[in-house]
Amino acid sequence: MTDDTDSTEADRGEGARTDGGSNLPVPPDDETPTWRERKERRVGLARLTYEYLERSRREDEDLREQSTYLERDVLGFPTWPHETIRNLAITSFFVGIILFLSSTLPPHIGAPANPSQTPAIILPDWYLYWSFGLLKLGPLNPELAVLGGEKLMKDRTYGVLANLVVFGAIAVVPFLNKGNARRPVEEPFWAAIGVGGFVFAFTISLLAIKNLVPMDSHLLFDLTFLLPIVAGALTYAVLKTMREGYMYDLNRRYYRLRPPK
Amino acid sequence: MSLEPADDHDHDAWLEEKDLTPVENIFLTVLIWADKRLRLVDYLEILETLYYRINLQMPRSHTEQYNLDNKFWYWYPLYSLGSFSTIAYVVAAISGALLGFYYAPATAGDPSAAYNQITFIMTDLNFGFMLRSIHRWSAQVMVAAVFLHMIRVYFTGAYKEPRELNWILGIILISLTLLFGYTGYLLPWDQLAFWAGQIGVEMALSVPLIGEWAAQLIWGGFSLGQPTLQRMYILHVFLLPFVVTTLIAVHIGVVWMQGIAEPH
Repeated sequence: MTDDTDSTEADRGEGARTDGGSNLPVPPDDETPTWRERKERRVGLARLTYEYLERSRREDEDLREQSTYLERDVLGFPTWPHETIRNLAITSFFVGIILFLSSTLPPHIGAPANPSQTPAIILPDWYLYWSFGLLKLGPLNPELAVLGGEKLMKDRTYGVLANLVVFGAIAVVPFLNKGNARRPVEEPFWAAIGVGGFVFAFTISLLAIKNLVPMDSHLLFDLTFLLPIVAGALTYAVLKTMREGYMYDLNRRYYRLRPPK
Repeated sequence: MSLEPADDHDHDAWLEEKDLTPVENIFLTVLIWADKRLRLVDYLEILETLYYRINLQMPRSHTEQYNLDNKFWYWYPLYSLGSFSTIAYVVAAISGALLGFYYAPATAGDPSAAYNQITFIMTDLNFGFMLRSIHRWSAQVMVAAVFLHMIRVYFTGAYKEPRELNWILGIILISLTLLFGYTGYLLPWDQLAFWAGQIGVEMALSVPLIGEWAAQLIWGGFSLGQPTLQRMYILHVFLLPFVVTTLIAVHIGVVWMQGIAEPH
């Protein structure tokens, strides 16, 4: 914290901040006791913890001091009344949507439960159709020649397992796809995977209600798996084509905002 | 993209030179991993500072710190889906608590007491039909908003590096939301509910090893009856509300700690 900080501070104006933050990018070193000072007498894992935390804080300070990011004042609205009223308005709007739907499309109650009579149509709520559809993957359950054409597991087990595979696949995404790219154009492959998965959720839901879909059920089964692939490939092709011009634009805007050193 | 990330401090080399035992090594590795993502140091420091001089200041979010919220306003509608599902959850909780005054989870009688109570709510109770309608629609809206929220997070890359934990927490939350929906679907004890329950039991039974145990735990047996309805009721009005409310709070808290992942 040398004299150049003082001049920038004067430029920003001390009174302008209303968010409770200080104008200094880094808390002054002499006010806050370091972790080591606080925990000198500790031993073992606790001591290691504080040694690391101290390093970590120093790293933070170094990075912020090196940063060339342009900090500028923006016009902000105070929490009360502006933000609060705005949020109340948005909340009332959403609650209004729910009330509108409930008053115009009231629910239905069917015949009482009867264990001795299986109804023609058994369905969960719409949001479980995809899971219900995964139970109908029997034709994809591989038959092994080694087992003499026997299936490795029952079709039912296979269907339940497919549910776990879906959840697992979604869970590993952040560990496979890393980096700074945020927009679909920047990563056509992952966008294609996403669109494919989204379309698959739709088609597998259709498969779940196949007796209500006016279509040959074999065709529907094939389309369930073909359409997502087609949609994914289309997405990939389109985004790949868009990419070059888009990245040029993005970079230009980026460097206008933060000129290179 | 075209900017090189700034160099991190080389914590690995530091670990090497420390010559640690395996326990210490694993501990520090986990600590560094979590701290890199959640900046534990900032929050521990705030607690410490509170202890040393009583002076609480909320940490500024990433967006506030770097004045970013004027740069991506056109994404805002998509960023409201998370709060939309939270609002729907609150509406469902309120209407559900009111419905709970009149509902009884009993299969006794013909038709069952549960079914009779739903019929009573829908035909005799003042405002009851609307109440059930609100509860049902807020549940539908919540599930829909949660799905769309996940899709938004996927396509804006908001699940990326420092936010993996929250993505996984989100997957747990979406599963619990579906479970919430399923348990609620069974409560009216009509034909749809009964046979949806039957499918659930059969799904559980087809899981190897733990299938039968899970079926008995959740559905209270292999054929549906009073134990099933009772368990679905307790899951729906007692267990899940606590768990889901807590997890939603943690989910939102982590977003607050890490800042909104705005598109760059």
